[in-house]
Amino acid sequence: MTDALELRGLSVSYDGTTALSDVHLTVASGEMVALLGPSGSGKSTLLHTVAGFHAPRAGEVWLGGQRIAGPEGGEPPERRGVAMVFQNYALWPHLTALDTVAYPARRRGLRRSAARAEAMAILERLQVAHLAHRRPSELSGGEQQRVGLGRALARRAALYLFDEPTAHLDTHVRGVFLEELLTRRRESGSAAVYATHDAEEALGVADRVALLAAGRVVQVGTPEEVYRRPVDLWAARLTGPASVLTGPAGEVLVRPEWARIGGDRSAGIADVWFRGPHSDYLLDTPGGRLLVREPGSPRHRAGDSVTWTLLESWALHGDVTSGQRSSSPAGPE
Amino acid sequence: MVVAAALVVVLPLVRMARTAWIEGSGQFGDVISRPGLGTTVTHSILLAVAVTVLSVPGGALLAIALRRPDVPGRRLLRLCVLLPVLVPDFVLAYSWLRSYGRAGFTDDLLGVTWDGIQGPVGVTVVVAVNAVPLAYVVTAVGLATRDEPALERAARVAGANAFTVLRTITLPLMGPALAAAAILVFVLTLGTFAIPQVMGAPAGFATVTTRIYANLSRSSDPAAFVEAIMLALLLVVIAIMVVAPADQLLGPRLRATRSAATDPAPTVGATARSGRWISTTITGYLLLTVGLPLVALVATAMTRAVGLSPTPSNWTLDNFRAVITIRNQEALGRSILLALAAASILVVLGACVAALERTRFGRGTGTLVMLTFVLPGSTLAVGLLITYGRWLSDTALIILLAYLAKLWAVAHRPISGAVDRLPPDELSASRVSGASLVVALRTVVLRPLAPALVAAWLVCFLTALHEVTMSSLLYGPGNETFAVVVLNSAELGQVGRTAALSVLMTLLILVPAGLCWLVIRRLDLRRAMTRGVVDD
Repeated sequence: MTDALELRGLSVSYDGTTALSDVHLTVASGEMVALLGPSGSGKSTLLHTVAGFHAPRAGEVWLGGQRIAGPEGGEPPERRGVAMVFQNYALWPHLTALDTVAYPARRRGLRRSAARAEAMAILERLQVAHLAHRRPSELSGGEQQRVGLGRALARRAALYLFDEPTAHLDTHVRGVFLEELLTRRRESGSAAVYATHDAEEALGVADRVALLAAGRVVQVGTPEEVYRRPVDLWAARLTGPASVLTGPAGEVLVRPEWARIGGDRSAGIADVWFRGPHSDYLLDTPGGRLLVREPGSPRHRAGDSVTWTLLESWALHGDVTSGQRSSSPAGPE
Repeated sequence: MVVAAALVVVLPLVRMARTAWIEGSGQFGDVISRPGLGTTVTHSILLAVAVTVLSVPGGALLAIALRRPDVPGRRLLRLCVLLPVLVPDFVLAYSWLRSYGRAGFTDDLLGVTWDGIQGPVGVTVVVAVNAVPLAYVVTAVGLATRDEPALERAARVAGANAFTVLRTITLPLMGPALAAAAILVFVLTLGTFAIPQVMGAPAGFATVTTRIYANLSRSSDPAAFVEAIMLALLLVVIAIMVVAPADQLLGPRLRATRSAATDPAPTVGATARSGRWISTTITGYLLLTVGLPLVALVATAMTRAVGLSPTPSNWTLDNFRAVITIRNQEALGRSILLALAAASILVVLGACVAALERTRFGRGTGTLVMLTFVLPGSTLAVGLLITYGRWLSDTALIILLAYLAKLWAVAHRPISGAVDRLPPDELSASRVSGASLVVALRTVVLRPLAPALVAAWLVCFLTALHEVTMSSLLYGPGNETFAVVVLNSAELGQVGRTAALSVLMTLLILVPAGLCWLVIRRLDLRRAMTRGVVDD
């Protein structure tokens, strides 16, 4: 079966700066791949290159087994058959929700009435049919993004591109919208690339996760893989909280739930944070500071002496400090 | 502020209406039946309609074309399309005559002349060329205030090709800006004077503005004076009839809250050929409308006599020597002083209104000031003349007063726009950091406003420098401005000298414009650098 998307050694630069360099990535048919990286790492550039808004400086873009872009240029966006949901919604201020969702069908050559009927069905499925005749300025952020999602669904594409679709949504709207997006994507059976800077979101939505740093793919794997076996400390910190302990076998990575309070090792508690469903303890151990996560409310206070157990650890390849990349030294959250 | 507006705008209008009422009641029949009056009004309205129809689509096309990043030399072209409005309008008109008219440049070199150039068609074309930059600026700003690139990309990825995007997204979104441009061009054309005077009057094509000028400057007939006042009032009535409903309809939509002056990124599939084609077309247009006429103007100024071919053997500087008289130098100095004074006072006035319209008390002042802009210059001049002429008619002060009244909005607009774009939190942040209001204004508000203040000053200075509609009505013996000198010279038919004066006038505008543009770009550049550019 052909891959929905294949990037072969893709390099993109604009305004004199290199935004992507030598990116290799495949997205299988029906698969959802999350692009996880800090802002400025090239996530948007990658999506916009696939959509046809940037031309590669080197490398190729293949969609559904067809080469659609290379250094010499490529197909224009409207002939690539991809759908996109934008971070800032990108809804047209002069069109109602109904006409916005009907837009892709009109471009397929449908008559206005047929396109509107199809759009109405999509809006109903997204439970926003009552907003059909409103313009973007009369919609809330969550409603706007639902219309944006509706427009993407109306495209009937084999590949969806999601460019941080929840970035501008309030926390409580976010979860509901994300669930809707995932359900509809699954129904459509299409492949998708989901760009985000939120590790929880990336690990939760995707079949596989690609970590992006300064325009390079650092690691690709299932959410389990990138979380439990990160290639370096930078990748570890990007995918979640992590502590580094120095032991006899060298430096190891410990996730907060890989250790437990109580056991045969002793430590002092440097700090405690109550987080609602769980509590975080920062332990002073002989090997270094260790973040431990326990369910429930705090049972110890800073300054207490406790014992602890190491359940799991991951040996970092090579020197830890050299594996550390520029930004986000995500300490205990 | 309100008092100042009342003194320079409202009082003259009231005085005019009163004079027309008192003087006109007896002679109304006489005035109305004067020969050619109806034709004149029709000419003005038809001219305004034709110019609007020609220049708004032209300006919009330029705005769309010059947004494409793949147009070679785009940065330079964006500046050059403003040239027709930088060159004084009477110079533009005169240089077209010298270029395409009988015994002009193309006649000498190729034997090609355009006989219709003196008359309605020529006037329409040159006024339209003069109005295109304005239509371009209004629509380009309209395009930039929305987040167009993302909206257009959304349409492309939804399956629309470049042309469909233009038809279904870009043009509908430009609607309000196009309407605003059309209204502005219509009203300004209604008040345009110099081009019809230079190109139309010799061929017997009269508009309301040229008739007012003829009535006031040549005739001692009291009925002519009353007619001038009535025509001036008529111009205001037409202007307000066009502007008022439009402002009601478009006002809220034109006030943009967001400014995203970004260009669409190059889209894959756009051919480099079309970019070059656009660049070539615009360059050709500029060469025909400004380049060749200006060359013809310089050639005329440097050639010994009309009719001689502009070859080196016929070159001379006699025309320039002849126009450097003490009287002309005084006029030049007077023009520069007037423009300096007007621009400096206007920036302060404009900033005051920008501040005042943001208070509860002065919300309407911005609109009031905007109205002065659409007030035809001829009307303002007539009003000022009958209100203050008694005391000020022999001084240049009355001209200064006219500049202040006419250009107030020109100064107010960019400053107000820049204040709108100031992030509201920056002032608050400065205050909570311990700055008093005055210190906060000085440290965090004035600096980002600097480019707008300089731009406002520059536009006022340049406009005042080449203003001729009001100056030609208000000047008295011994206090004419340089622009009036050029206009009078053209009317006397001194071809070589007029050309020489026009060249000097153009240099007078273009040199400071170029210098100030560098300053503004410097200011803008430094701001852009301190802001930092974040793009993911």
